[in-house]
Formats: sequence, structure tokens, C-alpha cells
Amino acid sequence: MEEPDSAVIATSLEWPDAFGALFDRHGGVLLRFLMRRVAPADAEGLLGEVFRIAFERRGDFELERASARPWLYGIATNVVAKHHRSEARRLRATARLAARPEPVSDPADPAVSALDAQATWRRVAEAVTALPEAERAVLLLYSWEELSYDEIAETLEVPVGTVRSRLHRARTRLRSLTERAEDFGVVGRTQEPEAKP
Amino acid sequence: MSDELDALRRLRPDRVLPDDPIDPEVLTRGKERLMAGIAAPTPEHRATPSIYPRLAYRDEAAALEFLVRAFAFSERREARMEHPDGTLAWLEVGDGVVMIGRSGVERHGLLSPTELGGTTAMVNVYVQDVDAHYQRAKAEGAEIVLDLEDMFWGDRRYEALDPEGHRWHFAERLSDLQVRST
Repeated sequence: MEEPDSAVIATSLEWPDAFGALFDRHGGVLLRFLMRRVAPADAEGLLGEVFRIAFERRGDFELERASARPWLYGIATNVVAKHHRSEARRLRATARLAARPEPVSDPADPAVSALDAQATWRRVAEAVTALPEAERAVLLLYSWEELSYDEIAETLEVPVGTVRSRLHRARTRLRSLTERAEDFGVVGRTQEPEAKP
Repeated sequence: MSDELDALRRLRPDRVLPDDPIDPEVLTRGKERLMAGIAAPTPEHRATPSIYPRLAYRDEAAALEFLVRAFAFSERREARMEHPDGTLAWLEVGDGVVMIGRSGVERHGLLSPTELGGTTAMVNVYVQDVDAHYQRAKAEGAEIVLDLEDMFWGDRRYEALDPEGHRWHFAERLSDLQVRST
């Protein structure tokens, strides 16, 4: 059986090279996280930053935690928070892509016009961009990374109750910011999201 | 009501564009860089000193580039914050830290000397090998306003302006200089 991350980190305190195993285990997940959150061209540099910071602070890792993934997500979340511009750019670009005309769109339904979809997605993206940092972090760890409340609490080093309340506030804000769109129904009409694993 | 969460889930970039796979070479390069960094001595994490100035620039990105190039400061790269209304950065030399940000009345009322038509402060910095520091600053385009000189209080010093007119005083203790030359 593979040794837990905590054992890898404990070893790396004395033999730093051992830390490389942590990259092998979590580098891909972290890169995907960063590519979702910031402009793709920035993701590689930030991945390097996340692991460099993790290595330098490996002495702070609480060894009773088996998996280092929430800790790494936490470092990555802090790194992303410093690149708000890149994040806003990524969201805008994704909203534009989401609004591109579907080849199988229903010509009988005039409500589903390309313009409506464009405006709606842009509004969702802007609403996410406008959220307070702490709420956006929780919201996206939950909805994009599909982390549990407990995992998010560990990632952000806050109590689970705080995760719940931040998520609630973020959703309420997002709803009020997007609800004003009469064409919000357009969003609900695209295909269902994949089931969670 | 989960409309807003559903909408958000659909806005996940790799769902919007599912055929946009991760380039495995990015991970290979990342691992290489991490291992190279591990082999090299890691930078020491020091506490911020009790007093540290914050300087305002109209173009803080250009200032940052200049200060590193001309005055040999090193940036705490992981501390840099890039926001739409300006970048904040921390520069180190020895055990000192200086913070760099964009100028503006709304930014703590801090103005750049170019906006002010003068400056109200000078930052004093002790460096190692002030002669080499002077040559480098001069070669990189710093405006020397006081030439390099031994002073009666035991320092060898010079003063320079950066591109926006902040005044810097660089010095080395003559006693350190003597130790270095023996």
C-alpha cells in the first residue's frame, strides 16, 4: 500500500527530494484546478508557485492529516486570490464560449436566441467575479472541485459552519445578481450536468 | 432552488470546452522545476521588520522591474498581489523590506513624486559592496544625485533617484568595507 501524504512530508523534512512524490500525486489535480480558475497561460506558473510554497512550508503541515490535497488546494486558493484579474478574464472568456450557438438548438423556440444566452452567461460570470473572495473560494471548491463541506473546511482552515454560511451567502448573492435576468431560464435549458462521481 | 448552482456547474471551463485536455508536458516541466528548486537552497522566510515603508508609483510594474534591475532588490514573489486597481509587491534587501504599490488619492493618499513635484521622504538602505551597487545602479539608468563618498560618521554612501523620483540612500559601513577588503 502507498504510504500516506503525511509520511511523504515527514520524510521530506529530512530528505527534501522525497517531496517530489507529492507532485506526482496531486500535480494534475492542482493544475486542473488552476486552469479552471485563471487564464490558461497563467496556470503553469501558478502551479510552480503552489508547489514551491508548499515545499517551503512543509514544516507547517499537520502530520495527523493523511492527505495533503486539501492543504494544497488551500495554498492554491491563496495563490489564485492574488490573481483576480486573470480570474475575471478566465470567467469572461468561458462565458463567451458557453454562449456559442449550439448546433442542435431548437429553432422553434425563439427564446433561446444566441443573444439571450450570451447576456445570461455573462451575467453569471460577472456575478461570480463580483463575489467577495472568501465566498467565491467556497462556492467554486464546492461546485467545480466537488469537495465536501468537510474538505472545504480543511482546505480553508475554517469551521464547517463557516463553509455552510459562506456557501449560503454566495448562492443568495449569485441568485439575486442573476435573477434579474428574465431570460435566466435559458441557463436551465441546456443539458444536465454530469452526475457527481 | 438550485438554478444558480446548476448554471455555475455548467460554467466550469472544462465542461464548457470538454475537449481541452491538460498538456502533460506542463506537469513534466512543473515537476522538473520543483525538483530543481528543492536541490537549490530554499529562500529563508523572514518576518517583516517592525518598520517598513510603502512607496507609491504611477506605474508600479515598471518601478518593480527597475528596482530589481538597478538596485538589486529581490522580490518576495509569492507575496505579490495583482489586482485590477494595481499590483502590490514586497522587495527585500538584507533584513529590510519595502512595499511597492500604485499611487492615488484613494490609495492611502499616497502620491508619486512625479505627481507631487517633489518627495517627502528618503529610504536609507545598507548594502554589501556599495561600490558595486553604485556602478550597477548608474549603468541601469538610476539618476545619481549625490556621488559615492566616505562620510565622517563612518559610512560610504551615495544617493539616487528612481524613474518616478523617489530618493534612495545607499550606504555601507566603512568598518564592514575594511573587513571585506582584508
